[in-house]
This record gives sequence, C-alpha cells and structure tokens, in this order.
Amino acid sequence: MKQWFCSVPVLALLLWAGPGYGQQANDVYQVLRDGDGAAQFAPVVPGYTLDFPQDHGPHPDFRIEWWYLTANLEGANGQHYGVHFTLFRQALFAQQQGLEHASPWASGQSWMAHAAISQGDKHLYEERFARGGIGQAGVQSQPVFDAWLDDWQWLGDGPSPLPGQLTLSIQGQPLTLQLSSNKPWVLHGEQGFSQKSEQGQASYYYSQPSINIVGQWQPRTGDSVALTGQGWLDREWSSQPLAENQSGWDWFSLQLADGHKLMAFRLRHSDTEQHYYSGSWITPEHKVTPLNSDDIQLTPTGFDVIDTAQGEKRIPTGWQLSLPTLKRQWQIKARSANAWLDTLFPYWEGPVQVFDNKQAVGVGYLEMTGY
Amino acid sequence: MRSLLWSWLTLLSHYRRHPSQTLFLLLGLITGVALWSAVHIINAHARASYAEADQLLDAQASHWIQAPNGRVALSDYVALRRAGFRQVYPVLELRLSTLDNQPLTLIATDLMAMSASRTSPTQEQSNSRVDMRAWSQLSQPPYAVWVPASLANSLPLQAGQRLTLRDGRQLPPAVTDSQPRQGQRLFMDIGAAAITLGETHLSYLAVGAIDPAELKRLDQWLNQYAPQLKRRSNQQPLDLTELTASLHIHLNAMSLLAFAVGLFIVFNAVRFALHSRASTLTTLRELGVSARTLTSAIVLEGFTLSLIGTALGLAAGFGLSQLLLPAVAATLQHLYGAVLDQRLLLQPQVLLQAWLLTSVGLLMALVWPLWQRSRQGVLAQRQGVDVLQQEQRSQRRLAISAAVLLAIALLSYPWLNSLAHGFALLAALLFAGAWLLPWLASQCLHWLSQNAKPGLAQWCWAEGQVQLGPLRPALMAMLLALTANFGVDNLVGSFRQALDNWLQQRIAADVYVQSEQLDAHQLSQYAWLLDSHERNGLRLRWQGRPTLIRGLDPSAPDVQQLPMASQSYPQGGAAWPDDGILANEQVQHLAGKQLGDVIYLPLGNGEQQRFTLAGFYYDYGNPYFQFYLPYQRVAQLWPNAQPQGLALWLDEDANMTEVEQALVEAGAQPGDWIDRRAILQLSLRIFDRTFAMTAAINTLTFAVAGIALLAALLAIHQQRLPHYAHWRAMGVSWREWLQLTAVPLALCLMLTWVLSIPLGSALAWLLIHDINVLSFGWTMPLQWQGRPALLLALLCLGVTAIAFAIAALQVRQRLPYALKQLGADE
Amino acid sequence: MLHINQLNKSFDQPDGKVSVLQQASLQLEAGQSAALLGESGSGKSTLLHLIAGLDRADGGEIWLQQQPLHQFSDEQFNQLRRTQLSLIFQQYHLVPTLSVFDNLSLQARLTGNLDDDFRQHLIATLGLGPLLKRLPQQLSGGQQQRVAIARSLLHRPALVLADEPTGNLDENTSQQVMQLLSQLVRDNGSSLLMVTHSPAMAAYCDHSWRLQHGRLEAELSA
Repeated sequence: MKQWFCSVPVLALLLWAGPGYGQQANDVYQVLRDGDGAAQFAPVVPGYTLDFPQDHGPHPDFRIEWWYLTANLEGANGQHYGVHFTLFRQALFAQQQGLEHASPWASGQSWMAHAAISQGDKHLYEERFARGGIGQAGVQSQPVFDAWLDDWQWLGDGPSPLPGQLTLSIQGQPLTLQLSSNKPWVLHGEQGFSQKSEQGQASYYYSQPSINIVGQWQPRTGDSVALTGQGWLDREWSSQPLAENQSGWDWFSLQLADGHKLMAFRLRHSDTEQHYYSGSWITPEHKVTPLNSDDIQLTPTGFDVIDTAQGEKRIPTGWQLSLPTLKRQWQIKARSANAWLDTLFPYWEGPVQVFDNKQAVGVGYLEMTGY
Repeated sequence: MRSLLWSWLTLLSHYRRHPSQTLFLLLGLITGVALWSAVHIINAHARASYAEADQLLDAQASHWIQAPNGRVALSDYVALRRAGFRQVYPVLELRLSTLDNQPLTLIATDLMAMSASRTSPTQEQSNSRVDMRAWSQLSQPPYAVWVPASLANSLPLQAGQRLTLRDGRQLPPAVTDSQPRQGQRLFMDIGAAAITLGETHLSYLAVGAIDPAELKRLDQWLNQYAPQLKRRSNQQPLDLTELTASLHIHLNAMSLLAFAVGLFIVFNAVRFALHSRASTLTTLRELGVSARTLTSAIVLEGFTLSLIGTALGLAAGFGLSQLLLPAVAATLQHLYGAVLDQRLLLQPQVLLQAWLLTSVGLLMALVWPLWQRSRQGVLAQRQGVDVLQQEQRSQRRLAISAAVLLAIALLSYPWLNSLAHGFALLAALLFAGAWLLPWLASQCLHWLSQNAKPGLAQWCWAEGQVQLGPLRPALMAMLLALTANFGVDNLVGSFRQALDNWLQQRIAADVYVQSEQLDAHQLSQYAWLLDSHERNGLRLRWQGRPTLIRGLDPSAPDVQQLPMASQSYPQGGAAWPDDGILANEQVQHLAGKQLGDVIYLPLGNGEQQRFTLAGFYYDYGNPYFQFYLPYQRVAQLWPNAQPQGLALWLDEDANMTEVEQALVEAGAQPGDWIDRRAILQLSLRIFDRTFAMTAAINTLTFAVAGIALLAALLAIHQQRLPHYAHWRAMGVSWREWLQLTAVPLALCLMLTWVLSIPLGSALAWLLIHDINVLSFGWTMPLQWQGRPALLLALLCLGVTAIAFAIAALQVRQRLPYALKQLGADE
Repeated sequence: MLHINQLNKSFDQPDGKVSVLQQASLQLEAGQSAALLGESGSGKSTLLHLIAGLDRADGGEIWLQQQPLHQFSDEQFNQLRRTQLSLIFQQYHLVPTLSVFDNLSLQARLTGNLDDDFRQHLIATLGLGPLLKRLPQQLSGGQQQRVAIARSLLHRPALVLADEPTGNLDENTSQQVMQLLSQLVRDNGSSLLMVTHSPAMAAYCDHSWRLQHGRLEAELSA
C-alpha cells in the first residue's frame, strides 16, 4: 500500500502539470509558463469587461484559475490568527466538444485546494485533490455561488461569494467563517487585465480587499475560538500567467489602518535583476491606482532559514516596500517564519505586519514562491 | 584445531580434483533446494499478500460499501465525499474476456481521490519507480491500461497494442507495467475505464483506515441517506488464509517431494565421494588424526557443502519462483480471488530453513557410513570389505523398513481425517515403494542369473547386482519422480474429466445473461426461446466462511438434471421438500454435515432459519459453501437478495445474431451475456491454469531424477573402470561391454517404471479419494489412464538413454588410460 | 630409545589361532637404524603396527623414549603418530587428490611443526623440486616413495617405521630410495625401524633383526 500512496502525489502532480511533464519534475510551477501547452486554451487579452456574478464562476476554457482568500483575524482569546484558503482549478487538456455530456468522467478539469491556519509559531495546513466532472469538486455562480471540494465549501447567499460562508476542516479541526463586504470589487491592471511580463503574459485579476469576517475555530484540544477580522479575496484566471524566465514571485496584500489597501507583487526573473513589478493602490473607497515597475520598490531586509521537504531554504521574511511616486514606505515583517506549505506546489504563505517607523500601521498577507 | 583444519582441507581437495562429482553433488543440492525454496517463497509470499489484503487496492479498505445489485451510483459516492468521508474511494472491478475467452479482471480507481492530503512536512518524498509519463497516460485520452508483464506475455499483448474484448470493445493502449497489489489484473484510471467501457456505475466503494467514531458516523449516514448501500467489514485476509490453506499444503508437499528427489542425488554423491576417499581417510588416521577429528572434518565438509548448495539453490529457487509465480497467482486469483503481488522477497527464515534441511539431508547421508567406519580399526579399513554382501544386507534392511512403513500406513488409514495425515500417508507410500525397489530389483536379477545360460547372459545379470548398489539412490529418485508424475497425471486427468462432465450438465442452458436492465418477460415473445431460468441470491457467512445462497426454479431444466452426489428426495419434477435445502459437497466434506442434518442460516434481520439438508450437489472449483433454495423462498427470507442471472434455452435453429439483437432490445448491453460454449471454454481454461503449477513442478522433478541417474552412472563407471580395463584385457568387445552394462540398467529402470504404475495409481487414488476431499471438499471418480504411463515410459527411456550415452562416452575416453594403469598397479 | 619386551600377538584365523609374536624383544638406540627381516607372514608388519598403535598386543611391553606405549590410549597413540612417529608404507599411502607439495607437507601441517628450510632441504635432497605440482598418480613408484619419505621426516619424528619401503620398486630405484632414506634418517637424528625381506636393503641399516617363529633375534650387521 505504501507504494501506492507514495506514488499518488506524483500522479496528482502529473495530472496537474499536464502531459510531457515528466522531464521537468524539478519545477512544479512549469505549468504556469508552458507556452506550447497554453495554445489549446483561451488566451488572456486586454479589453475584456468583467461581468459579475458570471465571472465569480469558473472559466473552463482557460487553463488555470483560483479563488484565494487570506485573512488576519483576532480570536476572542486575544490571539492573532492567520487563515488562508485556496481553490485551484486546472484544465488537464482542452475539453473535446460534446464529450463532457457522454460521461461525467470525461471532464478534463482537476481541482486542488489548500487550507491553512497559523497562530503564533503554529502552522496547520491541509491539501486536497479531486477530479472534475463527477461533482466531487467544482465552482458555480448560479443559482448561488458555491465552491467546494469534498466537504470544504464556500457557499454564497446569492450568486456572489459575498456574503457567504466558508466551511473547512484543517486536519480534522473545523473552521467556519462568515464573510461579507459592503465595498465594490477591485479590478487590477487595466480593468482586470493584469499583465505579468513584458512579453505579454497576463491574467484576469480582481479582488475584494475589504471583507468582514466573523468565524469559529475548533482546535483539536481546547475550547473553540470566536474569530473576527479582515479578509481579502483574490480571483485570477489565465492560460499562461508566467514567462519562461520567471522563476517565482513575492506577492503582498496589505490592509492599512487608515483604510487604504495595497496589492503589490514582483515576478522574479531568473536571468536578470530587472524583476517585473505590478500592484494596485486602493483607497478606502476602493478607487484604484495601478502601479508598475516604476512605482514599486521591494527589498528583502531579513531572512529566515526554514526546513522544508526539499531541504533548508533561506526565505525573506522581512521587507522594505516603497512606493516612490506616492512617497510612501513601510517595513513588512512576517508574524512567523513558520508558514511554509510542503504541498505538491510548495510555497510560503503567511500573515505579516506593516510598520511605518516601528509603528504598526497595518496587517496583510505575503506569498512567496520559487525559493 | 590445526589437524581439523588440515584434515578438512585435505578432504575438500577431492572436490577440486573431481569436478564432475562436485558438480553433481551441488546440482543435487541446488535443484532440491531450488524447487523447495521456490514453492516456499511463493507460499510465504502468498500468505503475506493475504495479510495485506486489507490494506491494498481492491481490499485496501478495512471496509467495503456495496450495493446489493453490485452497482453503486456515482452520486452516492460524491455525496459521501461531500459529507466528509474522505477515506472512501471508488472502485470499478470488471470481469472481462478476450476474443479467445481468456478471463481477465480489470480494476480501476480514482488515484486523485485516493491521494491523502499531504499535511505533514515530514511525509516521505515520493519516489515512484514508475515511468512518470505512464501515470499521466492513464488519465488522459487516449488513456492507457496497465498490464502486468507476465499477463501481457500470456495474452499475448504488446505495449501500445489495444486489447479487443469478446464483445468487440477495445481497451486503451497497453502499458506493460504494474503496481504492487495489482496482481494478474489490468489496471486503469477509473474515469478512463468508465468512458471506454461505458460504465455508469461504480462496482463498490472502499473505505481506507477509519477511526471508530467516523465509522459510526458513516453507518448513520448510510442508514439515513443511502439505505441501499451496505457497509461490510473486510474479512478477506482471514478468509483467504483459511480458504487457501489446503492449496498451500499441496504446494508444500510437492516441493518437499522435489527436495527429496534432489536429496537422492546428494545422498548418492556424498556416499560416493566418501567411498572414493576411503584410502585418504585411512592415511589421515595413520598420520595420527583421531577418528573424532576426522568425523568432525567430514561433518564440517557436509556443512560447507550445504552452505554452498543452499546459497546457490536459494538463488536458483528465487529465480524459479519468479517463473512459477504467474501460474500460482493465476490459480489463486481465479479460484479464490486472491491478489498476489508480483514482487517477491526472500525472507531470512527461508534461508535458515533451507540450510537446515540440506544439512539434515547431508548428515543423514553421512551418518551411516561414518558410523560403520568408526567401528573399524585403522588396519581393517585398508582391508577390502565385501561390498556385495553389504549391499544385500542394506537391501534387506530397506525392504523390511518398507514393509513396516506400509504396514503403519495401512493400519493408520482408517483414522485418516487430516490433511497432514493424508500427506504423511502419501509420503509413507512413496518411500515404502522406493525402499522396496532395490530388493525387488536384486531378487529379479538373482532369479535371472540363476536361470540364465552360463556365459555372457549370466555375467550380465551378475554385473547388474554389482551396479545396483551405486545405482540404488538414482533408481529410487526415478521411482519417486515417475510415481508422482503418474499419480498427478491421473489426478488431473480424472479431475478434468469430472469437471468436464459436470460442466456439461451444469451449464446446460445455451446463453447466460447477467444484466440489471434486462426485461426478461420481453424475451418470452420469441419462438426460439424454449425455456428460461432466473436465479437470485446473496452472500453471507456461515460457519465462519463466506457462503453463497442461490434461489432457483426447481422445475428448470438445469435443476432437473443437477448433478447430485447424494440426495434424500426424488429428483425430476418432485415438489421441493418443505424445509429442505440443497448444499454443495463442500458443506458435507468441509463442514461435516450429513444428509438429513438440520442447519441454521442467518437472515438479514438477525434471526436464524432452520433447514434440513435434502441433498448434496457437485460443485467443483467453488471455494465457498453454497446452498440452493427455491427462488421465491430466497426472495421471501432475504429481501436483499439480488438477481444472479438468467439462463436461456434456445431452439436448435436459433440464430445467435437474432438472439443478441433481442437481448439488446430487451435492455441488455453487449457483454452482458455469454454463450454456453464460451463459458465451458472459460471454465476449462481456468482449470488448466490452476494445474499449470503442478505440471511445472512435476516436470522439474523428473529432470532432477534424470540428473540423479546420470550422476550415478558416471560414478559407477568411474568406480568400475579398472574392472572394465580387465575385461578389455580379457578380450571383451565394446559391444559386449554395452550389453553387460546397459541390459541390467534397462532392466532395473523397467522394473522401476512397472512399480511406478501401481504406486502412482495408489497415489492418485489417495489424492482423489481422501486428500482432495479433505482439502477442497470435492469428490470425483478416479479415471485410470494408461496413456500417461506409456508417455512416462518413453520419457524415462529417453532420459536413461541420454544418461547412459554420456556415461558410456566417458568410459570410452578413459578406458585406454585405465588399460595402461592395469600393469602399474598392485 | 625403543625397547620391546616379550611382546605377544596372535590372530584368529578360520583354521585356529595363529601366534605371530611370542615373547619378542628388541632394542633400538636413538639415531640408530635397524632392519627387520623375516619371511612373508612372519609378523614383521604386525610388530610395526603394534609400535604405531594401529593394533594392540596381547601382552608384553613397548617403551618409546621412556613412554609405556603398551599402556597408551587411542588418543595418545594418535598424538604419538602425529608427532613422534612416522610410517612409510610399501604402497606409499599418499593422498591422491593432493599435490606432491601438499602431500609431503601434510603431516607437518597436522602437527604444526613445519620448518620451511628443512622442507626445502628435503625437497632438494630427494630431488622432488620439479615434481611439486604433480599429483601422486602422475609419479613413478620411486618418486612416490620419495614423497612419502619426505612426508615422514618433515615433522622430525623420533622414530620412522618403514614397512617394505622398496617392495614395489626395481633394484636400482630401491637402492636410490634406501640410500636417501637411511642418510636422511641419520642426518635427522631419528631412529629407523624397517621391515624388509631383502638382505640387500637391510645392509643399509646399522642393525638387523630376524623374526622367526614369533621371536626376534639380532643378526650381525653387515
């Protein structure tokens, strides 16, 4: 049995990565760059007008898509809790017309979900896989928004994910979150067309950076904890989001105490120090100022060495983020270095604090891949 | 210590100077150990596989969730997953047959669903030996089917080829690869299997490791949301161990026989090696080596040889087991549904056992001559002993032992009630025969020489007496091999005959249909339908064993002609006795029930129903207990009973294409039915596969006996070479030499063959009459066949001729040298 | 060195008891050699066997270097044969599967008393150098006997018992072998007791004894 199980992650990986993957087993993220494979899927082009609630649902013609929630919460016990939940969709092969009706098994879609909670230096997470088509996992926006994999579920009250309820269990420990927002959706880039490289790699990308959350966490031992706080939902889909020379990214979502929000990321180039920067400066009213490489400066200021399944890794857990055009500058610090997920696609994802001259001025989430 | 070391080295120098003796000694050890260990490895491997049956693919679950009709709706599975039962995963298991009616099993599951969440960073990194591309092939069009290499060879099927099924459907391109626990089955991704084979339902759900609280929740959930689904805890490991016990004892017994035959070679070789070193042993004594040191040196030599023999034998046995495994795996899978891994492991205890076995065998060969020597003084050892007289003494001793053994066997026969006892009797019979043989041969030669004309003929029979000594172990080995072959040939022949007759009666209908959707009534409109018989049934446990209940129509033609072993009511249209029940023979022989006995069967509601045993029917090949009741009664007592297929009798002129057309119109799908011819073919094919292993071991045993004979002849001629030189000097021609040596040998072997016929018949009788009943619960008449005996005679003749030719050639080569030595020696 | 006093030995034969030694007595001093003459069946070999412990006397005493051999156990005789005695036979009694080199080293190896220089000396003296890798069956009788002589001396025994050592050899070879044997025994300081029926061979020894009617009588040395 052991052999079976050992092999399974490999299989899941291959299902996720698509055919011909075997040769590049050393970088699971290759699927995000694979230009040849992308050709059979729909391209991401500027000028598309996002349409809600329709676009809350899946876009099966595109190769990859995600629903990504991060949250900084405070427990009734006074402790800080970081939560993230993602549902990834990947098309293994372009759907043959008509075949999906022949058999539910004929779907080319596959699903992967991660859920994690961190508190202090503790970090719990779980990863799941499912094939599409048979109803074990999926997303729909009609009649109500519903995104699920096994018994993990985000159920909207209406066609929109917000307001809605997220029901999870992380290693058997239940977590429920009530999510709502009274702010408009934020479209990144050019009306949701978010460029990822000079060569034209791009995705459709929108967010809800102001989500009010109340929830309940039931750890395996001890009393259940009531949670309240702020969340951030990212929605993104693409067929080839990364360029060949992009080895990973550092992505920030910050919620400042003055009501401003900031999304900023850099895509690191393996062949040059000239990385690709992009972001959005969001006012409390959700007015968006797109930011580009001239507007953003990101400098790692502190590192931690952490143990991963692939060996020790040196991860930047302290940053200096400057927006020179807006004359703003912050220091960003991970609440704990222990936020590595040894999942099929390994990455670091954890809550951060934002400082302005040693003054705590906000919270946020940091995601780092490719280390 | 020093003298022990140098004595040992001096003794060992013999093997360096006589490579052919060394070769045969080792060959005997190696073949014996190889055959024994091959079967042992397979047996141990099979048992280990049963123990794992609850952890692995089809039986991986501690539990199974099944629908009574064998079809679980996909929606029920998804609902279970969405209710948080992530231990549950779907399985599609299909029985398929190839164009030429080769039975196949396909297993498919959703590997994505099986992938447990990897939550712990310490979890092992996956290091699959599988070509990674093969994995992705499975799930993406055009998909792939994994075929174990041995199965692919037997089909035959090349990588990349598509296998066409009997109903014309095609499987995806084959990949010759397999995973642990796949056994002799095809493996596919469940999605790919469902699409290619048009399956809309799942066969069952497997439940992985689950804690008691979750199990309770699962039961509650099933009760509330899917009451038609039943959870069953997996008792397969237990069942398999019990069901297959007899088969493994069989295999073990056969391997021990092979080992015994191998030991005869060793026996011969060791004795001969000791004999040809008699002067060296005495010289060492003269040089002041004590008798004790010398004995120790010889025993040490024995251990050395057994160590080398065991090591090489195990290596050969491991290789052999790889060759034999597919046959055994096929048997186990077809007979018991047990899945054997394709990867074998050598366990340390096998190593130790094999070494002990060979050591004991070698010591047995050494003890007698050493004891004899130790009784002699050093001087006496130089003086020749009357070999002939000694030989006659041991012949008499062996014959007396044989008589005693036979007497014990005969006396204990009436108390025969266990398999172990049965095999002990078999062994006693075989060895009594073997021990009797030299005395018989000697008497025969004696009589011939008494009655022969003086001259060459008389000399010839006298020469036979001389050769008989060294030839003895080889003759006994040959007798064992012949007897075992003849006995098993008769057993298999009888069984095949009985099975064939039984199948002809039992599979009486022309077409068998197994379909959920079939509307049987719709078929009644056709003129070509003469009769039909619908059955229902279920599976339960009775007396701790899996048991099948079948409901049938007592007036159906096949029930009217049901082959009965015994019954208490008149067959043929008679009303079914009130609380009567028919049981298969297995119930009589394995559960020890008699006609008229009262039995109780568990009902679904937890109650017990009383029945009286009204008859026993033959049921070959069924490892389970089975009971027959009228259809209505089964439906009434067990509401969860499910249709078990429909048998159709067709008009002689019925056009099969038309019939199939009608079946499709009535709701069946291609592949849902099988015609009589195909089912008969299928059954006999399964039978032949089952006995493939037996045949393989027998052939090998025969080969070993042939080697023993060759070794003995070479030894005899080497020993007799100076005599042959004398004869030559006296003017004996080459032709006369051939006559002098070949005729008595031919006589001895003919005698061996003749003796093997009654012995083999007795063996077959014991196997069929007692051992088979004790192990499987099947009875059948013994069909005595002469053909195997004649074939074996030819085979024996061939083996002997080859061995003799090789030995004679050697004599021809060495004779000139021996002649030269004639003058030089004493 | 070797003192035999009033030794008795008889055998059971189909035609009654035959007495081969009757009150036989003999003395042999260290470094001396003696030939034992007598007709076939007179019991010469039996005397050697009794000294070597291959057979037991019915009565009398055998003293070898002040050890009462007549009281020795089998184990003591084994020890004696391995270390202090050696035997040379008419049929050479070489191990057929050992090379000349291994054969001549055998007893010294069993004893643990192997002197490599002495071995070289023996090999050279006996002219065995070119034959060392051969098997006994590839040697002539004289060569085989020379191997047996080397084997019997290599562990430096106090007493060499030789039973018709030249019985299978032609006259020339016999003389060569005898010459070598007596010379080597003398060089080695061993004593030699040799059974022979040939006065010519007996002439190589310091003393001669004749066995007649079960009694030993000293003869004048040649």
